[in-house]
Amino acid sequence: MIENLLTYIIFTPLLGALVVLFLPKSKTSSFKWVALVALGVTLVLSVLAVTSFDASVEGLTNSEDQLQLVDKAEWFSVQLGSLGKFSVDYFVGVDGLNLSLLLLAAIVLFIGAISSFGIKQKQKGYFGLYLLLSTSVLGCFVALDFFLFYLFFEFMLLPMYFLIGIWGGPRREYAAIKFFLYTLVGSILILIVMIGLYNSVYDPVKTGMEAGVIENVSEASPDMISSIQFAVQSGQMESENIVKSFNMISMADDANYLPDSFLGKNSYGEIFGQSARWMAFLALLIGFAIKLPVFPFHTWLPDAHVEAPTAVSVVLAGILLKIGGYGIIRTAFSFFPDSAFHYTWLIGFFGLFSILYGAMNALAQKDLKRLIAYSSVSHMGFVLLGLAAMTVEGVTGAIYQMFSHGLISSMLFLLVGVLYDRTHDRGIENYGGLASKMPKFTILITIAFFASLGLPGFSGFIAELMVFIGAFKSSTVIGAIPYWMPVVATLGLVLGAGYYLWTLQRMFFGKFWVKDKAWRETLVDLNAREYVMLVPLVILIIWFGIYPATLLNLINNSVEGFTQLLILSVE
Amino acid sequence: MILLQSNMTLGLKEQIQGISADIAWLAPEITLVITAVLLLIYDLIFKENKSVGLAAIAFAGMTFTLALLIAGWGNIEEDRILMDGMIRLDGVAIYLKAFFSIGGLIGLVMMLRSKQKEKFFKSSETLLLFFGLVLGTFLMTMVINFLMVYVAIELVSICSYVLTGLFKSKRNSEAAMKYLLFGAVASAVMIYGMSWLYGFTGTLDFTSTAFAEGISQVAVFPLSLALIMTIGGFVFKLGAFPFHIWSPDVYEASPTPIVAIFSSLPKLAALAILFRFVASLDLALVDWQLWLGIIAIASMTVGNFSALWQKDVKRMLAYSSIAHAGFLLVGVLAFSESGETSALFYGSIYLLMNFGAFFLVQLFEDNEGKTSFDAFKGMGSKVPYLGVLLLIVMISLTGLPPMAGFNAKLYIFSSLWETWQIEGSSILIWAFIFGLFNTVVSLFFYLKIPYYMFFKGSEEAVSSVVGNLTDKILGTILVAPLLLLFFKSDWLLNVLNSINFAL
Repeated sequence: MIENLLTYIIFTPLLGALVVLFLPKSKTSSFKWVALVALGVTLVLSVLAVTSFDASVEGLTNSEDQLQLVDKAEWFSVQLGSLGKFSVDYFVGVDGLNLSLLLLAAIVLFIGAISSFGIKQKQKGYFGLYLLLSTSVLGCFVALDFFLFYLFFEFMLLPMYFLIGIWGGPRREYAAIKFFLYTLVGSILILIVMIGLYNSVYDPVKTGMEAGVIENVSEASPDMISSIQFAVQSGQMESENIVKSFNMISMADDANYLPDSFLGKNSYGEIFGQSARWMAFLALLIGFAIKLPVFPFHTWLPDAHVEAPTAVSVVLAGILLKIGGYGIIRTAFSFFPDSAFHYTWLIGFFGLFSILYGAMNALAQKDLKRLIAYSSVSHMGFVLLGLAAMTVEGVTGAIYQMFSHGLISSMLFLLVGVLYDRTHDRGIENYGGLASKMPKFTILITIAFFASLGLPGFSGFIAELMVFIGAFKSSTVIGAIPYWMPVVATLGLVLGAGYYLWTLQRMFFGKFWVKDKAWRETLVDLNAREYVMLVPLVILIIWFGIYPATLLNLINNSVEGFTQLLILSVE
Repeated sequence: MILLQSNMTLGLKEQIQGISADIAWLAPEITLVITAVLLLIYDLIFKENKSVGLAAIAFAGMTFTLALLIAGWGNIEEDRILMDGMIRLDGVAIYLKAFFSIGGLIGLVMMLRSKQKEKFFKSSETLLLFFGLVLGTFLMTMVINFLMVYVAIELVSICSYVLTGLFKSKRNSEAAMKYLLFGAVASAVMIYGMSWLYGFTGTLDFTSTAFAEGISQVAVFPLSLALIMTIGGFVFKLGAFPFHIWSPDVYEASPTPIVAIFSSLPKLAALAILFRFVASLDLALVDWQLWLGIIAIASMTVGNFSALWQKDVKRMLAYSSIAHAGFLLVGVLAFSESGETSALFYGSIYLLMNFGAFFLVQLFEDNEGKTSFDAFKGMGSKVPYLGVLLLIVMISLTGLPPMAGFNAKLYIFSSLWETWQIEGSSILIWAFIFGLFNTVVSLFFYLKIPYYMFFKGSEEAVSSVVGNLTDKILGTILVAPLLLLFFKSDWLLNVLNSINFAL
C-alpha cells in the first residue's frame, strides 16, 4: 500500500494543472493528454484506495479509529485574542460514507476528460481549469477538517464559473453567474455554522498536549482521550489550554463540545427564539440542499446544465450534485442528529416534492438536456428521502443512489453531447426515428434511459429499491417519516418511465425525420472515442445493478455506524 | 485650556522638559516632515529635470520612516503617553504606522508607474501634500486628546481636498469642492460634539478617568447627541454610511495612486481613533454598539448594492471601500481583544487587497486617468497573467478561499460571534447575518472585471500593450501575500498577538 495515497489522489490533478500552465500555448494538442494522464493516474490510485480499504472495520462514524488511509498534519494554529487557540489541520481520510463517492469522482472526471477532447478553443485554459476543478472535487470528498473542506467546497465554484462562462452555450454568462450566486448563498449558510461550530468544539488530543497531559499524538489512547474529555466537561481544564478545532469527526461527538458552548448537545443557545442546534442544522441542510439541488433551490441547475459544455455537464451532474448529498450526511446529520430527527418529516417531504416536481418538469421539457437536468432533480429527491428515513437501508440507498446516478447521469449527458456535436440542436421535437440512422447510439441511449428510470438489472434499481425499503421501514423502526411518503414517491417512478419512454418514442422510433436536411449528413453513428467513454459506463451501471454487493460490502459497516449515531441521539 | 489643566499637576518647565524628551519617540513623524521640507527646498533650488531627484527624496524618506518603525519594533509591547498626554504610542500605533509607510511606498511606486507620471513629479506640490497626508494618518493612530484628534483629522482632510483638485480638470475641481464642503460640515459637527463633551467633563483627554466620570453624570440624551456628533466625524474619515456620499465622486476624479491612498490609510487610521474612543465609553451608559451596528450594516448593504450599478471601475471600488468600512466596523462592534486583533488583521489584508486592486486597475486606465469596464474587454487572452492577478484580488475582496480576504472575514465574524454569545445583543447577530450575506452581493460586482476580461471579446483590435514585465513583478509582489496569508495566516496573526492591547 502506498503512503499518503489520498494526498496523491487529490494533488495529482493539481500537478497536471501546473504542467498545463507551464507548457507553451502553441502546443495545443498536448494539454488534453496531460489532463488525461493526470486523471488516469488519479483513477488508478483511487481504485487502489478502494481495493486497500478494509471493509471489516466497524465503529461509529464519529470516531477517528474507523477512518482509513488517514493523512493528518497540522496546517496552522493560531491564537485569536479572547477566542483562544484554534487549530486547522490538513486532515483527509475515507470511510464507507465517502469511499464510493471518491471512486465515482475519479471515474467521472476521467471520462469527462475524454469527452473534453472535443474542445477546440482555448484548450490551455480549459484543461487547466478542468484539472483545478478535479482537485477541488476530489479534495472535497475526502477532507475531514471543516476548514479544508470549505476551501475545496468554495474553490470548485471558481473553475466551474469560468468553464461554463467561457466554453458554454449562448446564455452561458447568465448561467455561470446564476450558478455561482446560488451556490454561494449555500456556502454562506455553511460558513455561518462553521464559525459557530469551531467556537463550540475542541480537540481533545491537542488540548491534552497543550495541558501537558500527553507528549505527542501517538500517546493519545482512547482512555486518555476520554479522561481529557471528562476534565473539559467538568470544567477542570484550564481554559487557556483548550484548543478549538475544525475536525469534522470530532464535531460529530457530543463529548467534544465545550460544556457551555452555544451549539453543544445541552445547549442553552437560541437564535430568533429557536434552538441554536435546530437553526444550525437547517442552515447546513439548506446550504447543501442548494447544491443537491432540492426544490425550491434547484432553478440554477437546468440553466447551468443547458449552457455548460458536455464534459462540464457531466462533472456537474455526476459529481457536484453529490457533494450536496455527501455534505448533508457528513455535516448536518452527523453533527446534529437530534435536530435531524426533529426535521425528518420536512426533509422527507422536500425529498418527495423534488421527486415529483422534477419528474413533472422533465415531462414538460422540449430540450433533451433540460429534461435530463430535471430528471436529476427528481433522482436527487430519493437521496433526501432515503436520508430522512434514518434507517440503514434508507441511508445505504441514498449513498447508492448518489453513486448510481453519478454513473447514469454522466452517461446521459455524454449521449446528449454526442447528438449535440453532430447537429448543434437538442430539441426533442426536431428529431424522429433516429434508430434507423444511428442504431448503436439508440441502443446505448435506451440502456441509459432504462437505467435511469429504475429498471431491474441496472444500478438505479438497487438504489431506489433500498430507499423504498428504508423509507417503508422507517415509521416502524424509528418513526422518522410516515408510510405515505414512500407510497407517493412511487409515483415518481411512474412519471420517470413516462418521460423517458415518451422521449424514446418521439426521438428514436418511427420513420427517420429531422428538422434540418443538412443533419442527414452529419448524423453518423458513434465513433471510437465515444465508445471509449460510454462502454465502460454501461458495464459499470450493469455491474452495480447485478452485483450490488461490490459496493454494499464496502460501505455497510460505516452506514451502520452512521445510523447508530442517529439512533443513539434519538433515544 | 490644556495648559491650565496640566499646570495643576506639573510646572511649565517640567512640562517642556517632558515634551522635549518625548521628541525622540516621534522620529518617524519627524522624518516625514523633514522629507517634505527637503522636497520643497529641492524644488526651489533646481529648475530643470526635477522629477528624478524628487522621486529619490520621496522614496528615501518613506523607506527611512519604515526603517525607523521597524527598528522601533521592539517597543511594540510597551505603552507610552507622550507629549503631555496628547498622544499615546502603543503597539497598535507602531503596527499601523509601519503598515501605512508600506502603503506610502506602494503609493509612490504607483505614481511612478502611472500614465500621468510627469504630473506627480513635475514639482514638489503633490509629494508635499502626500507626505502631509501620511503624517496626518500617523498622528491619527496615536491621538487620545480631542484637540489632537481634530488637528490630525484636519491635516489629513486638507491634504486630501487639495490632492483631489490638484490636476485642475473640471471633474477634479467638482469632486474637490464636494469633498471640501462635505468635509467641512463633518468637521464642524465633530468639533461641536467635542465641545459638548468638553463642557460635560472639563477634559479633552478622552482616556482619562475625569472623562469617564464626567460623562457618567450626564443625562443620556445630550450625551448621546454629543457622542453621535463626535463619532460622525470619525465615520466621515472611515468613509462609512451615512457620510460616504463624497467618496465615489472623489475616487472617480482623483488620480489612481491618490485614490489608493485615500481608500486605505485614512480609513484604518479612523478605525484606530474609533477603537480608542469607544473604549472610553461604558456600554451601560450609552448603547454605542447599536449605533455602530446600524452604521456597519448600512455601510455594507448600501456600499455593495450601489456598487452593482457602477459603470466606472474606480467608482465601483469606491463603493466597495464603503462596504469594507462596514466590515471593519464589525471588529469595533465585537469590542474584544479578538475583535481588535481581527480588525487589525482585516485592515492589513484590506490595505494589501486595495493597493493590489488599484495598482492593477491603473494599468488599464486611459491617459486621463479614467477607467471604464470597456478597457478590460478581452484582456484576459491578451494579458492572461495580469488577468489572473486581478482575479485573485477580486476574489480576495469578495472574501472567498483560497485568498486571505476569507481569513480576514472568518476571524472578524468569529470575534463578533463570540461577543454575541456573551452579550446576546440582537444587533450583533443582525450584523453577523447581514455581513456574511453581503458577500453574495459583492461577488456579483467584483466578478465584473474578470467577466469583462475573460468572457467578453474586444471588437476592435487594441494596439496598446498593457503592463510590462516590471508591472507584472510589482503586481505579483502585491498579490502574493494574499495567497500566502490564506495558507499561513498565523504568520500575521502571531505578529498581531505580540501587540499589547490596552483598550
